[in-house]
Amino acid sequence: MPLCKECKKFFPIKEDPNKGDCVQRVVDPRQAYYKAKPVGADMDASSCSSFEKK
Amino acid sequence: MAEPAKNNSVAELEKKQEWWWAAEKKRSKRLDYLRKGMWKKGAIGGLYPAGLQVDLEQAVLQTQKARELETSPDPFVVKQAKIFADYLDSKTIFITDHAQLVSYVGSLPNTINWNPTMATILNAEVINDPTVIPEPLDESLKVINEVIAYWSGKTDADRIMSQTDMADIMKILSGTIGWGIPLARGGYSGKDYEYIMSGKRAFEDVLAEIDKNLDEADASAHEPTANQEIIKLYEKMNNWEAYKIALEACIRHGQRYARLARIIAENYETDNKRKEELLQIADCCERVPAKTPRTLQESLQYDLFIQLFSRTEAVEGAWPARPDYYHGPYYEKDVNIDKRITKEEALDLAGEFLIRAAEVSQYKVKWVREGLQGIEGTWVWTLGGVNQHGDDACNGMTTALLQAARLVRVSNPTFGFRWHPKVKEEVLRECFECIRQGLGYPSMRNDPLLIANSMYWHGHPIEEARTWVHQACMSPCPTTKKGFQPMRMANATANCAKIIEYVFTSGFDPVVNMQIGAETPDAATFTDFEQVYDVWVIQMKTIFSILTRMINAARAYAPGLTPRPFLSAISERSVESGLDVMTPSLSRGNSWITAFTWVENADSLAAIKKLVFEEKKYTMAQLKKAITDDWQGHEEMRLDFVKNAPKWGNDDDYVDNIMLRCLRDCAIFGHELKDPMGNNWPILPENVSGNIHYANVVGALPSGRRRGDALYDGGISPGPGLDKKGPTAVLKSCGKIDHISDGRAFLLNQRLSPTQMAGEKGYSLWKAYMDTWYNLGLDHIQFNCVSDETLRSAQREPEKYQEVIVRVAGYSAHFVDISRKTQDNIIQRTVQGIG
Repeated sequence: MPLCKECKKFFPIKEDPNKGDCVQRVVDPRQAYYKAKPVGADMDASSCSSFEKK
Repeated sequence: MAEPAKNNSVAELEKKQEWWWAAEKKRSKRLDYLRKGMWKKGAIGGLYPAGLQVDLEQAVLQTQKARELETSPDPFVVKQAKIFADYLDSKTIFITDHAQLVSYVGSLPNTINWNPTMATILNAEVINDPTVIPEPLDESLKVINEVIAYWSGKTDADRIMSQTDMADIMKILSGTIGWGIPLARGGYSGKDYEYIMSGKRAFEDVLAEIDKNLDEADASAHEPTANQEIIKLYEKMNNWEAYKIALEACIRHGQRYARLARIIAENYETDNKRKEELLQIADCCERVPAKTPRTLQESLQYDLFIQLFSRTEAVEGAWPARPDYYHGPYYEKDVNIDKRITKEEALDLAGEFLIRAAEVSQYKVKWVREGLQGIEGTWVWTLGGVNQHGDDACNGMTTALLQAARLVRVSNPTFGFRWHPKVKEEVLRECFECIRQGLGYPSMRNDPLLIANSMYWHGHPIEEARTWVHQACMSPCPTTKKGFQPMRMANATANCAKIIEYVFTSGFDPVVNMQIGAETPDAATFTDFEQVYDVWVIQMKTIFSILTRMINAARAYAPGLTPRPFLSAISERSVESGLDVMTPSLSRGNSWITAFTWVENADSLAAIKKLVFEEKKYTMAQLKKAITDDWQGHEEMRLDFVKNAPKWGNDDDYVDNIMLRCLRDCAIFGHELKDPMGNNWPILPENVSGNIHYANVVGALPSGRRRGDALYDGGISPGPGLDKKGPTAVLKSCGKIDHISDGRAFLLNQRLSPTQMAGEKGYSLWKAYMDTWYNLGLDHIQFNCVSDETLRSAQREPEKYQEVIVRVAGYSAHFVDISRKTQDNIIQRTVQGIG
């Protein structure tokens, strides 16, 4: 089972590596941006369409 | 305004008054990217534009957290703060390419934030609005249904309304006499900027003040002699605890942006200049909101954070602000003293600040969207004016914001400019340029007069009155400890055309089949004008009373039922006292009744007086029959009432004196009505686009209007095309009103010819006109300066005229974003030739 911490887009928090941000590049019809969502390092990423193994 | 030849110079485009294309060529690449990347959020014809989605993230996160806290022993206010904090810790954040400022009320740029804790009627609209529900539809509908089911009976509106009079609620929710519901977390939220934005403190400083208060309260509660007072102390300690939770979450939220900016800089960005900018964003968000700003960028970011946090806690339909006053010192330091940034770089920041505000969107019920066509809320930012000592407060940031507005040309926020005799010529020219270039703003406000008005109606001391900002479109409100109003609840917004309509229906509303007004005698039996007028006064008092007593109740219940821990935490009176910011005893009061569709009353009464009782051409029974028939079969008679009765705005004492009489009776009643702070309820005639929203709700009127016809465009503006004696006559009519004691403020729309406003001569004409306006003692005026030809072309080929802006009433909107009826109404307004 893939975990968030195994993904390229996962950036752990130094003080608490069990938590981190999932950072993704988005290009919508008007603008481009980076978005971040808090996730747990050991969260199940098996249903995540954005998962990219490190 | 159509697509220009590619090689047209800026000068050529400006000569042809193609301001949008000129702006596009003049602004920086950064501003061009951000402006074109902006998702417009204002509803078009009541519907949100294509591509937008209601944001389910806040709804889901708040519901999850509320469920989790259900069995917690925490006091209600602490639970509220924890729900707020959890959302800020968990929500999705983003940083747009080229941006220097960050934060958004929703999760993604194209989302409309949905706060499910406010009102069941709002939640019900979400599920019935398939145009904004994100795909996959079935999954989203399931989520929305779960959220709605959870909050049903638990929202602010549910809990407040259960404490108030059911008959009043039904009358208000009928949508005939009022506009909005009385909520402490939904409306126009003022801020104590003198406490939190004056550079003396930021969130860590407030936390230190709260800790000190908590320690003292804790010590007092444990005194051997402590007795009954401990109950009050416990309540305060709970509140302070909630404030701390909210502020600490805000600081963490800023740090989340700092972290994202560093991740992008260190892992993704290849351009060195952009890397530096991202690291600058990181430094900025590590600094604010925790600590006081040091630079213009930090000051603007701090302000944005405060606005967004407040909109996380509440649904805010206005944006009371004074950005030149509070950011001006940082502009001066950065640009003129330290020279850290150039004027052009400051202009980029000012322009981006406007764009960031323009993007903000929170889901609102359809009647609000219809009343505010094309925009998200009435975000009238206040510029100019005097400082607390009475000196000119204009500064470099005033000019930067006026110039930036012409470069980014957003329709919301707009500006209201506090005009006074000490304003420098160069600043007035900047205001004029914005008006001449068709922005529809700034509206011009008579600063000395409105300061006096604030002192007269609400007893604000002069130093506090001088801090005033627009709390919504029009009404001044101080930004001080006791003077600021934490929430102006929107439902004290009277559809005043109903006053004269109810004179003829004995208070029965035929549109909703309800007795809403007072049961007065049959108008057909009236034998003189005084009987008509006396009943008019009774109906006016009845409608105003229904609206204000609901708000009075909601305000009194708010501290216990719908507290605002974040807004309290940035307000001196709450940090000091430990009481919720809505607590009536802590503030002076700044209430007003917005009077939509007002002038119809004066024109109707004048027509009755002249044609029925003086000329005796018709009886009251005939007039009542014609009105009941919606003038059908009485066209000749209708035209008599339109053409041969005196109309407001022509310097005609006959009708103008009726207007004054109506206003003065409202003013007397405004002193009798009291808000929970013991202060007055003056009226404030203005309209937003309520004249269109209410067109089908208001029946036929003695002014000759039929049901369905657009109502007048509002405030004290004459009916479109009915001001036939020129601009000075309009000003003279309006100048008969005492703009201090007759009401809180009075909106006046005027249209000017773009051709006449061209060049230096245009400025001289406008300046002379404004001097007359000032000398006659009017408090407000706003201009449309777009030709009929351009507007008609925009109706024919909207795709080519996407960026034409017009002043609607109290706000500006892109012409293509308002309904056809509103468009026609604006074109029908008289173009005043001045000079």
